[in-house]
Amino acid sequence: MLNKTFVKLAAPLAISALALTGCGSDSGGGGDTIKIAFQGPLSGDNVQLGTNMENGIKLAIDQANASGDYDFEIEYFPTDDQGQPDKATAAAQKAIDEGVIAVIGPAFSGPADTAAEVYAEAGIPAVSSSATRPDLTTKGYESFLRAVPNDSAQGAGMAKYFDQATDAEKVVVVDDKTDYGVGLADVAEKELTAAGIEVVRQSVPQKTPDYSAAARSVVGQKADGLIYAGYYEDAGPFATKLAEAGFEGTTMSGDGTNDMGFVKLAGDAANGWKLTCPCTDPTQEEATKAFADDYQAEFNQAPGTYSAESYDVAQMIIAQIAETGGAESDSEKLLESLRGVEYKGLTKTFSFDDKGEFKNQTIYMYEVKDEKIGYVGNIDELAAE
Amino acid sequence: MSLNAFWDFLVLGVVLGCLYAVIAIGYTLVYGVLQLLNFAHSEVFMFGGFGGLMALTVWAPAPDPSGAQSVLYVVVGMLAGAAFGGVVAYGLEKVAYRPLRRHKAPRLVFLITAIGASFFLYNLAGKLFGRNSLAMPDMYENKRVFSFFGAELSVTMILIVVSAVGMMIGLDYVVNRTKLGSSIRAVAQDPEVASLMGVNIDKVVSRTFVIGGLLGGAAGFLFGVNNKVVYTMGFLPGITAFAAAVLGGIGNVRGAMLGGMLLGIVETLTVYFWGEEWRYVAGFAVLVVVLMFRPTGLLGERLGRTA
Repeated sequence: MLNKTFVKLAAPLAISALALTGCGSDSGGGGDTIKIAFQGPLSGDNVQLGTNMENGIKLAIDQANASGDYDFEIEYFPTDDQGQPDKATAAAQKAIDEGVIAVIGPAFSGPADTAAEVYAEAGIPAVSSSATRPDLTTKGYESFLRAVPNDSAQGAGMAKYFDQATDAEKVVVVDDKTDYGVGLADVAEKELTAAGIEVVRQSVPQKTPDYSAAARSVVGQKADGLIYAGYYEDAGPFATKLAEAGFEGTTMSGDGTNDMGFVKLAGDAANGWKLTCPCTDPTQEEATKAFADDYQAEFNQAPGTYSAESYDVAQMIIAQIAETGGAESDSEKLLESLRGVEYKGLTKTFSFDDKGEFKNQTIYMYEVKDEKIGYVGNIDELAAE
Repeated sequence: MSLNAFWDFLVLGVVLGCLYAVIAIGYTLVYGVLQLLNFAHSEVFMFGGFGGLMALTVWAPAPDPSGAQSVLYVVVGMLAGAAFGGVVAYGLEKVAYRPLRRHKAPRLVFLITAIGASFFLYNLAGKLFGRNSLAMPDMYENKRVFSFFGAELSVTMILIVVSAVGMMIGLDYVVNRTKLGSSIRAVAQDPEVASLMGVNIDKVVSRTFVIGGLLGGAAGFLFGVNNKVVYTMGFLPGITAFAAAVLGGIGNVRGAMLGGMLLGIVETLTVYFWGEEWRYVAGFAVLVVVLMFRPTGLLGERLGRTA
């Protein structure tokens, strides 16, 4: 009897106590905490890409909090979509329920396509530093901003390089049948044709167990160039088989291949491959050297693909929060301000057009030499040389 | 493309066909003895790839090895792959299938168990070895050795064909000429009578799995040399080799070899004529057409009777 009464009384008390502490943490530290989320693959097959970005963001937040420049505290909230579209809605909902003011991500194109709608409904700005599928900005996701050149720019950059920096007359364009690969290959094919270069288009589906036949058919075309639009897991064995079949033309691939995994898989055969990426190499560019050192000191590894870009995006968001009222800022004000932003980051200047597309479409080139991916430079400048 | 290119692709098809044939034997042997579709055999094959890789990583090949060293590396890799495959196949039979046999479970339960075991094994491999693709260490310089009607043969291709053909001849001998072979055939034909005649059925079943596992594991190593090693690598070759076993007449060892060769050649020539995307379309179209006219497969007769 006594116990029952006790429970009846205690339960609401406990709940209200919880609710109170809940409110307390929201406005804790003098009511000045603001939450920023990152959505991307934090587990699963492509976790390395997610970690690269997460570390960049964490570094930006820690530095902002430590700097004393801001009268509010930033709290980091990671939300994991494993890079998969079917996990993206739940991940986005988690971030929204957590009460974040802005999201960096979603990292991959597929999840971005699913989650951007959810963020748009909640009115929370989602700024992706790595989702490159061209049509993401044309679908009317109202709060989605892309802070990276898209695959149209990358394909065009590849074509430009072939046109202006090589004597190639015939190029084989191979896609891997994924959304990313086909999109990139389509643009490359279109731009190469426009430049008057003969194009042979082939498809080699991802996870093909044996690339020998595909390599022979590329060699059989007697072309002087090859563009592979796909990910490093497949580019690796393909490169090996191309070398075995004796292909001698210029070989090029995109950011999906721009990973040391490619070199590890292909070994010697990777040498000479040119890899484009909308990302800079933070350890090479003057402007990002300090960032690369800080990153190395904090995480005991060199920054990877999209680390520096994610760092920039996080800093940009923090700066805009400060500008739109700091602790008083909200998602609506922030989104408005981000749309018109002109933010000079370490890697490039960030600004968006009226669809949320990135204005600066610069592509950078890397080349594999002595089994290392070496930074070559801005593709426009290289092509012009 | 030229006629030379055609020979090129034909030779590639034979290389791929050899691999399929060796894997297909694993399916056919187990089916012959137990009438069980061992879908987890593709994971046996995958573990063979990792076994070879691990042996060679632990005992890393020197750069620019001499000819004798190269042969040694290949032999070590292949033995390690075969050992891994054999152990996994043995464990699979012991843990997953034997209890079901004891309790006389219906055939469908075996099939579901096989699929479950396959899921379990490849996720286990993903957990153990990581989910990134790995390359085999360089064991030799993979140069082109000679040409055959204009088709260039590389060291890897010769390695695959020679080892696969060797394994197939060896297995054919074991099945048709040895005591173990006759006990396997006896159990396949009629398990009850065989046990009355003093054949230990459990032992024979277990050994059949191990033989299939040894071959599958060695094929996994060869496959890794030719391509790469990754925890999902079993699925496509596995399902194709299974189709090859059906094509040749499942339960029939020579049929599995024939079916494997045929599918490898059909797939590769499809790439030559129509491109990579049509690879499996053509392979499976051939399977369907053949089965329409010969439902028991090309070499219809079996190791055992249909139960």
